Amino acid sequence: MEKLKVLHVDIGGCEGCNVSILRAFPNVQDFVELNMKYLAKKTCAEDKYDMVIITGGVCMNEPHIIEKVKSLREKASTLVAFGSCATFGGILRFCRGGQEPRPDHRNFQPINSVVKVDYSIPGCPPTPQMVQSFFKFFIAGDERRLRLFKVCADIKKLSGFDLIDDIVLTGLCIGCGACELSCPTQAIKMIDKRPNLIAEKCIRCGTCYVRCPRASQLLCMGGKI
Amino acid sequence: MISLASDNLLGTVFGVYLARAKDEEIRKIKVASGGAVTALLTYALEKGIVDGVVTAKRIKGLEGQAIVAHDKKELLEAAGNKWSIVPFAARMKAKIEEENLQRVALVCLPCQAQFFGQMRDFPLLETDFGERIKYIISLFCMGTFAFEAFLNYLRMKYGIKAEQIKDIALKKDFLEIIYDDTTLALPIEEVYSYLQAGCLVCTDYTGTWSDISAGFVESEPGWTVLIARNPRAEELIKNAEKEGYLELKEGSHVIGEVLKKAREKLARAQQNMMYLL
Ligand SMILES: Cc1cc2nc3c(=O)[nH]c(=O)nc-3n(C[C@H](O)[C@H](O)[C@H](O)COP(=O)(O)OP(=O)(O)OC[C@H]3O[C@@H](n4cnc5c(N)ncnc54)[C@H](O)[C@@H]3O)c2cc1C
Ligand code: SF4
Ligand code: SF4
Ligand code: SF4
Ligand code: SF4
Repeated sequence: MEKLKVLHVDIGGCEGCNVSILRAFPNVQDFVELNMKYLAKKTCAEDKYDMVIITGGVCMNEPHIIEKVKSLREKASTLVAFGSCATFGGILRFCRGGQEPRPDHRNFQPINSVVKVDYSIPGCPPTPQMVQSFFKFFIAGDERRLRLFKVCADIKKLSGFDLIDDIVLTGLCIGCGACELSCPTQAIKMIDKRPNLIAEKCIRCGTCYVRCPRASQLLCMGGKI
Repeated sequence: MISLASDNLLGTVFGVYLARAKDEEIRKIKVASGGAVTALLTYALEKGIVDGVVTAKRIKGLEGQAIVAHDKKELLEAAGNKWSIVPFAARMKAKIEEENLQRVALVCLPCQAQFFGQMRDFPLLETDFGERIKYIISLFCMGTFAFEAFLNYLRMKYGIKAEQIKDIALKKDFLEIIYDDTTLALPIEEVYSYLQAGCLVCTDYTGTWSDISAGFVESEPGWTVLIARNPRAEELIKNAEKEGYLELKEGSHVIGEVLKKAREKLARAQQNMMYLL
């Protein structure tokens, strides 16, 4: 079987996502040819790839980044936004500009603000196992399992705030506690069988939203919230 | 194997069976359904296939709580349906870690099966514990109650107190409330408004993210319908029969009945989405 040719490019995040992909590499190299700047020996360096994975968010004050993202879109039929910064803006949304040591700028957007994205995988960072699973289901063409990530590719913002607005305040929460368990910063606490959001702790990663069974079912059904 | 597209309403269907517990003790406790879930789990525990079963136990009234069962006795104590959903995801994680369980089976409702199934397939977090989940068993589900409101209703209209309720069972279009020595049959329409609003827009009847789904059909009373969703699940069911825990019949003739229910739930969800979303 021919290996999937994948190019990874980071356009500015915290390196967490890159490390995650790097850690997955030993387990996917049998079926994936990965081009990544951290891998000394480039396994493939070409104009066309089967898939381009972008990590980090787009700084809207940097025209050359925007151009770069657009040119990456041309390189493959499948573009994947990996990690919360790339999918929903994530922690980059907190940038005010001028902090030490960086960033200089204050407007970061998810990849899909600039180009069409095919799959968005939230998580801060998503685990190496997630990288493995994604490749496995992608190669198998398992549409049902990939559906959630496909739907996320058209969404620009998803966080604990949206979960509260869309699921809890609408009365659709069933009190299962999946959100509490899925929050990397413990911004969610169940109180009286409903989640309560500690606003300052939410880094807008979106994990709780895609992990909420009610929310993810509605997303996959195409139910407009 | 029944050829149903994997993207249909019932999810992937690998095999359908009618099953019930061989063990008299289990069947005595389970009057309404076949006790197949309890029997299957007993088998998995006693043969060391899993080292713990996470399930729900009634604490009071309709309320349930997540517990870990290690043997048949603890499973029997937990038998029966819990009609309020317990926020048991977090509690379950604590339990698995406390007891350092490595191979658990869990019994849950379709929504929880979706959470655990997605976690197992797509580990987004370092703290995920999907690799420890051996089997996800989902019960069929038409909804859980906003139980404070429902209990209030039972108390106000029928004078039934939470402590008196022994069991609640679904029979055709009636919900039977078994309290003290009496049975009250309430038409389903009467109690619909006491279901959680989230359930009214839920589209999954059987638990498409499970390994095994379990429920019942009207035409085969006393039997549990088991849907195996992969070869691993099929093997567990078959071996439980071989080892004398389960009585098993081929069940593909009832899948139409299950599908009908699933369609009803989908239609209900679509209708409710119009004004709830
Ligand atoms: C809220 C609810 C709604 C249901 N709706 C339907 C329906 O519409 N149609 C249908 O065919 N079947 C429905 N069922 C399933 C059905 O009532 C039986 O549970 C199923 O047929 C299995 O029967 P059994 O005798 O093999 O199970 P048993 O051998 O009695 O085993 C059932 C197991 O499930 C566990 N359990 C019970 N409630 C919960 C809960 N809330 N969360 C986690 N674990 C639990 C028990 O602890 C026990 O281990 C529903 C169940 C519940 C809890
Ligand atoms: S999503 Fe999280 S881990 Fe990934 S680059 Fe952004 S901040 Fe870092
Ligand atoms: S509440 Fe937690 S999981 Fe949800 S978006 Fe905020 S940080 Fe992420
Ligand atoms: S995961 Fe969703 S349904 Fe479950 S408690 Fe959180 S908001 Fe409610
Ligand atoms: S109806 Fe759906 S949301 Fe409600 S308890 Fe059942 S599976 Fe969960």
